[in-house]
Amino acid sequence: MLMPSKVKYRKQQRGRRRGKAWRGSDLAFGDYGLKVLVPGWITDRQIEASRVAIMRFIKRGGKLWIRVFPDKPVTKKPAETRMGKGKGAPEFWVAVVKPGRVLFEMEGVTEAEAREAMRLASHKLPIATQFVARSAAA
Amino acid sequence: MSQALSVEADPREDFGKNASRRLRRAGRIPGIVYGGGGPAIPITVDPKSVSAVLHSESGHNAIFSLEIKGKAPARVMLRDWQVDPVHGELLHVDMVRVTLGARMKVKVPIQITGEAKGVKVQGGIFEFLLREVELECLPDDIPDQITVDVTELLIGRNLRVADLPVGDKVKVLTDPNRVVAHVVALKAEEEKPAAEVVEAATAEPEVIRKGKAEEGEAEGGEAEGKPEEKKEKKEKKE
Repeated sequence: MLMPSKVKYRKQQRGRRRGKAWRGSDLAFGDYGLKVLVPGWITDRQIEASRVAIMRFIKRGGKLWIRVFPDKPVTKKPAETRMGKGKGAPEFWVAVVKPGRVLFEMEGVTEAEAREAMRLASHKLPIATQFVARSAAA
Repeated sequence: MSQALSVEADPREDFGKNASRRLRRAGRIPGIVYGGGGPAIPITVDPKSVSAVLHSESGHNAIFSLEIKGKAPARVMLRDWQVDPVHGELLHVDMVRVTLGARMKVKVPIQITGEAKGVKVQGGIFEFLLREVELECLPDDIPDQITVDVTELLIGRNLRVADLPVGDKVKVLTDPNRVVAHVVALKAEEEKPAAEVVEAATAEPEVIRKGKAEEGEAEGGEAEGKPEEKKEKKEKKE
C-alpha cells in the first residue's frame, strides 16, 4: 500500500478541495490515462485496487504510471467512544484530487485494451472519471 | 509547412478576469500578440480558428497570418496556450510575431515509426521518453516533426537525441545524450501475501523531529519525548 516513509506531522486537518487541478492534468508519460471529473479523496487501498485491476487485465505488456500519491493521513476515533479526548489515531492515507487530475497513465497497449483496463480501474474508485488519450488531449 | 492558415482577431479593450469570462461566455477567448519589435496587442479570437491551427500539420509550430481589425496582417505563431483541465477548452493564447531573418527556438514533436525488434522478437516494452526536442532554426526551416524509425531497437538499446535525423539547417538545443526511446525487459510482478499487505498498511511512517526534540529522542526515545512536552506546557499555564 502506498504511504509516505517520513512525515513532519502525524495528523492533518481535512482541508478543502476547491478549484481545478491546474497541475498534473495532462498526459506526461503514456498515451492513455484516466482523468478525474470531480473533487475527492482517493485512499491508498483504492489506488492499489485500481492498480491490481489494471495489471491483471493487461497481464504482460504495457506500462502503468500512477500519478497520485496518498500523502494525507486520515484519523478515526475507535467505535463506541465518547466525543472529546483528542483527535483519533491515523487510520489510512488519501490522495486529494481535484477535477482534471490524471490518476493513471498507460503505454504499450492498444487503445481498446487501455480503455477496458481504465474502465475496470474506475470501478474501484469513489468518484467519476474519464478515459483520455494523447491524440484527444493535444 | 502550411502558410494558408489565417486567424481573424479583434483588438481587446476590457481586461481582467470578469471581462475575460464574459468574452468566453460569448464564444471568444482573450489572447495577446507580442514580439518582432512591435508592441504587445491584447486581442480576442475565435477558439475554433486557434484550434484549427493547433490541429494542423505543423501543429503548434504553424506560422499563420493574424488579421487584427484595423491593422496590417502579421505573420505569427503560437507561443503558449491555456486549456481547461477538465473540458479541454482553450482559455487564452499567446502569439509571437515571426521575423523571417531571425533564428528562433521551437519545440518539434518526434514521430516514431516501425515496431522495435526488442518488442516484436524479444518481447520487451517500448518506452517513448522524450516526445519533443528543442531546435533553433529560421522560421521557414521549422520541420513539422522529426520522424525516426525504431525497427532495429533491441532490449537494452537506447535511441538518443544525437541519433535523430535532423537536417543541416537546424541546430538541436536539447542535450544530445538524452534518451528519446528505449526497449526494456518485462518485470514479473510478485503478488505479496495478504498478511504482509495488512501489516504494511497498519505501520505508521516515521515522524521527522527537529532541534530539541531530536536531542531528547537520542537520550530517551520518541515515546518519552511527548510527556515531557506536556509537563512543560502545564508549567507555563501555572
